[in-house]
Amino acid sequence: MAIEWLLERMEQARDATAIVWHGVSVRYGELVDRVAQWLTELDDAGVAAGQVIGIEGDYSPGAISLLLALIARNTIVVPLTASVAVHRDEFLTIAEAQAVIRFDDNDGWHIDRRDVTISHELTRALIAQGHPGLVLFSSGSTGKSKAALHDFAPLLEKFKVVRHRQVTLTFLLLDHIGGINTLFYTLSNGGTAVVARTRDPDEVCAAIERHRVELLPTSPTFLNLILMSEAHRRYDLSSLKLITYGTEVMPQATLQRVCEAFPGVRLQQTYGLSELGILRSKSREDGSLWVKIGGEGFETRIVDGVLHVRAKSAMLGYLNAPSPFDAEGWMNTQDMVEVDGEYIRILGRRSEIINVGGQKVYPAEVESVLLQLPNVRDATVYGEANPITGQIVAARMNLVEPEDLDSLKKRVRAWCRDHLASFKVPVKITIADGDQFSSRFKKMRRS
Amino acid sequence: MTSPKTANREAIVAMVINSLNDLYAQNGITSDDAPGESTYLVGRRAALDSLGLVTLIVELEQKIEEEFDVALTLASERAMSQKNSPFLTVGALADYICTLLDEQRQA
Repeated sequence: MAIEWLLERMEQARDATAIVWHGVSVRYGELVDRVAQWLTELDDAGVAAGQVIGIEGDYSPGAISLLLALIARNTIVVPLTASVAVHRDEFLTIAEAQAVIRFDDNDGWHIDRRDVTISHELTRALIAQGHPGLVLFSSGSTGKSKAALHDFAPLLEKFKVVRHRQVTLTFLLLDHIGGINTLFYTLSNGGTAVVARTRDPDEVCAAIERHRVELLPTSPTFLNLILMSEAHRRYDLSSLKLITYGTEVMPQATLQRVCEAFPGVRLQQTYGLSELGILRSKSREDGSLWVKIGGEGFETRIVDGVLHVRAKSAMLGYLNAPSPFDAEGWMNTQDMVEVDGEYIRILGRRSEIINVGGQKVYPAEVESVLLQLPNVRDATVYGEANPITGQIVAARMNLVEPEDLDSLKKRVRAWCRDHLASFKVPVKITIADGDQFSSRFKKMRRS
Repeated sequence: MTSPKTANREAIVAMVINSLNDLYAQNGITSDDAPGESTYLVGRRAALDSLGLVTLIVELEQKIEEEFDVALTLASERAMSQKNSPFLTVGALADYICTLLDEQRQA
């Protein structure tokens, strides 16, 4: 059984708090007992090894113990959260889910059977091996969501190494590789996962204060939201030891402000992909975007400025797209990087690079400069087609106070002229109507 | 939606010159003569570089949308393939904008 070792560790930590969900503490002992109870309930519901089962819920005691039970039972798990509600049916169809267990706000549950025969070769091969599986959907910020099918066994392998026991806020959800990583890191080290009621900056900071959270894994966009709302000034966040950020490029300006707002807190960049798992990483300094990535089970190489990764925990393949791996198992991450010795700096997705008359512009660099301007709450930079220069740099801005577009343009151009090469200065500047990030707190650069 | 106003060439020339003056100011460009109809927008005799021209065009597209409530694409394959470049001088660009606005009005 792929998680026997984990259940044994949890058993040993019976009296420690595993989860704080909606203010209620749940101990490891209760969680382990709940797993055993699930196995009986799954028998009654006819959920057997090799079936594909959807879970709709967040980090509730019921959903977490069900996830563990489904792994123990060697089923293939498809976690779905409210953030992808509009794609629910499409995702279940792609994954060929045969049942869905849905949790309500009080952690009550309900199972719906779906009459589906598994036809995908990858899924069938995994079932034949008798291993548990996991299906994760990429965010699809630049296109259609891809379904990554993982063998759960190698994904869990790295958690056998004992690391820090800490109180962690679960920011990324269960349907995200970062969320899965946070959960299993916490459980395998006897730590505590604190679940905030919502992912509003005040709710998150209040949960950090109340439960003395030590680790906040999050995204640059969310850190920006905390700073803009000044939520960090309203709560005692002295328990925080480490903030990790990933899922998108961190603007230098935001990192600088996070450093100033959280003195004494270590800042650590993370790197991972739903196709590969989360690599181990080490930032050069708290305020530095240079990071060393790799760790046991991961190999990296740079080809033409693009990061390639080979991972033991790599997915088996996509259920709805061709394999991204070459014959040797390397995956082109499409992330452009700069190299300095053993450190790399992530510049941005290759698909998001703007080409102005043959010169490359990385949106993150321009956004970082725009975010330093007064009255600017957020900025999204993207390319727009133009017959003269191929593409132009366009910027959509969110303001703190209303401002006349002409006056904004003048300020932006004057500032950018001193801080960016001329071809990187936004040619088109508009004011956004609403927020420009996804339900996963990741910037959306669609034009 | 209200129908687009008749394109007034004088007003369009003034709009182009205003935008050009703004760009000069924002980019620290000093020009010996005040911009007029015969001011070059591209080439050796122009104070603007190619990015400056692209910026001017996008600015004008935004201004036209605000004032006339029509979305015009000034930089298009059609514009690029004209016998006489509509981007050569302030006057030529104003003429081209008037032509496009008139077409919109009749459409």
